[in-house]
Amino acid sequence: MMMLECDAKRLLASVGVNAPAGTVWRRGEAAAGVKVDAYPVAVKAQVRSGGRGKQGGVVKVADRAALEAAAKKLFEIDFGGEKPDALLIEPWLAIDRECYLSVAVDGRAEGYVVLYSPQGGMDIEDGAPPVRYEVGAPWNFRVHRLREILEQVESDYQWREKVIVLAQRLVRSAAALDCTTIEINPLVKQSDGTLIAADAKVARDEWAHFRNAEINAEREAEKGRADPYLRACLDMQHMYVKLDGDIGVISGGAGMTMGAMDMIAEYGGRPACFLDCSPGPTSTRGYRPAFEMLDADPAVKVILVSVFGGGTQMQRVANSMKEVMAERKGKKPVVYRLDGTNVDQVPGIFAEFGAHNHATLETAVQEAVNLAGGAQ
Amino acid sequence: MSILLDRSNKVLIQGVTGQMGQFFVEDARKYGTNMVAGVSPGRAGTRVGDVPVFASVATACKETGADTAMVFVPPSAVLGAAIEAIESGCRLVVATADEMPVLDAIEVRAAARANGAVFVGPNTPGLISPGKAKMGFMPSFCYTQGSVGVISRSGSLSYEGCKRITLAGIGQSTVVGIGGDPVKGTTAAEALERFHKDPETTAVLYLGEIGGSEETFVAEYASRKGAKPVAALIVGKTAPAGKKMGHAAALIGSKAEGHAAKQKMLRDAGVFVANGLGDLVDSMRQALARVKAAA
Repeated sequence: MMMLECDAKRLLASVGVNAPAGTVWRRGEAAAGVKVDAYPVAVKAQVRSGGRGKQGGVVKVADRAALEAAAKKLFEIDFGGEKPDALLIEPWLAIDRECYLSVAVDGRAEGYVVLYSPQGGMDIEDGAPPVRYEVGAPWNFRVHRLREILEQVESDYQWREKVIVLAQRLVRSAAALDCTTIEINPLVKQSDGTLIAADAKVARDEWAHFRNAEINAEREAEKGRADPYLRACLDMQHMYVKLDGDIGVISGGAGMTMGAMDMIAEYGGRPACFLDCSPGPTSTRGYRPAFEMLDADPAVKVILVSVFGGGTQMQRVANSMKEVMAERKGKKPVVYRLDGTNVDQVPGIFAEFGAHNHATLETAVQEAVNLAGGAQ
Repeated sequence: MSILLDRSNKVLIQGVTGQMGQFFVEDARKYGTNMVAGVSPGRAGTRVGDVPVFASVATACKETGADTAMVFVPPSAVLGAAIEAIESGCRLVVATADEMPVLDAIEVRAAARANGAVFVGPNTPGLISPGKAKMGFMPSFCYTQGSVGVISRSGSLSYEGCKRITLAGIGQSTVVGIGGDPVKGTTAAEALERFHKDPETTAVLYLGEIGGSEETFVAEYASRKGAKPVAALIVGKTAPAGKKMGHAAALIGSKAEGHAAKQKMLRDAGVFVANGLGDLVDSMRQALARVKAAA
């Protein structure tokens, strides 16, 4: 769960990390309410997607008129499907150097990893890879281990010690606040030698919602941003990603959902979505909003139900399908492929409402592609 | 042989009185898993089926000789339950729960390592050694005993993949669901190491996804001298970059984590990589032909 920069910096400031004193301008808020004491300032679009700087999402302005003109423009830029809901206005920094520092969960490290590069900024991915300190469990952070690694790339020892202290604090905070990534890029050395987080990306672990009010609130806010159909799906814990095709996929388990999507493409069709219903797997209540959402989506022509269940028992899924179909108003064709525990009971249940269960994913996908207008 | 699980494991179930626990007791016992105890605080002295219930893992281990734990508790309780099992001396602890916070997984992994135990999970269907025992919800008919070691990041995909090779007459030594989370109790590297040492396993099938770096381990293993042949399938060719595809780790963050880069890395390492589910059996047969050629 990605936080906006302004929220990420608030989090950093709360653990004593120096960040610019910014003003947030929310969409729809009158310009008169936005107080700026001194110029020049940086005006930064608040979006969750990356590559903002390269899309003109950060503007330097020298006076009030320029600020208002820039704001008008920035609120209208589409950053990968996302228009900013807020702008962050910060004093323009006197930069001596730009570095890169991040702390992130990493499977290889069995926990957290610290990454540092003496050259930060927008082109970090094109330069030499950052040095890497594998911390593992957060309580295993050792100042002297990180120092050994930083000595290879960072010759300014005073700066190096500041970075080490900061990294230690970030690892502690990431664990305490259930963050999976805290990235400061650029980490700026100001002309007076002090350190400041000029930009920040923080990702939170959404599964820690039960012990963190902020994460819980962000999950609710995410649902709030969704349309009513998607919100109903999210309420059932379904996982949804919209794609640009016309075959809606209702599936269970991330791997098989992607397996079905890939096979649709292999047969010349185009999947309309990734919709994994496995967290609320067998009930009519769970599947109802999935069908309602796909029925309401004008891009979807056909719905493919592909579920291969272990703990998810197929006779329950089949009964849920029967109930959903009995009340469903949508007329889009539905193709079924259920397999797994108790699949032998499916044909009997399906016969009660005239549905057919495909024995293989191949024949089901073929029928779905045909119904959507054939291979393209 | 097989890895981690066979008829010798004496299994206890934490959260045995819940719906999943009860279903598991019946299903796994039918398969031959040696179920000896249940644990449910406050329910000591009762039974689930004929399985005696104890208040703590330590008591259950002492009374029944249990050495393996299946954790069926809510995500917020997995940390406590798994560590209780590890510190009570269980050698294998399996937690199927998804939605476990990653920090908790880090802590359980560290505890397992410190106590010489193996943790499998979270977010996994568990593991099965066909013909011997199972620790999870996988549909039994998808499996048959044989010589292929299977490692999967996804539950449902492992059912589908195993059913395909089973129908093609290719059996499995053990099928391990390592799970789809970024920090795993058992990584692909660790599972590969165990399959490498297992004399019954002659080849490996790896079922992976976009996102994360687990596939690097597989490529590293396959390019090692004396490695057992590996077949693989990576799903998510049609997944867009920057979006989480259900699993926490199935998110393409950089080019190296995309589908094309992973396929190429694995092929370059000598892995027989299927283009899709449709030719998975072919890739598996190629890997097995390599076994024969080497013999």
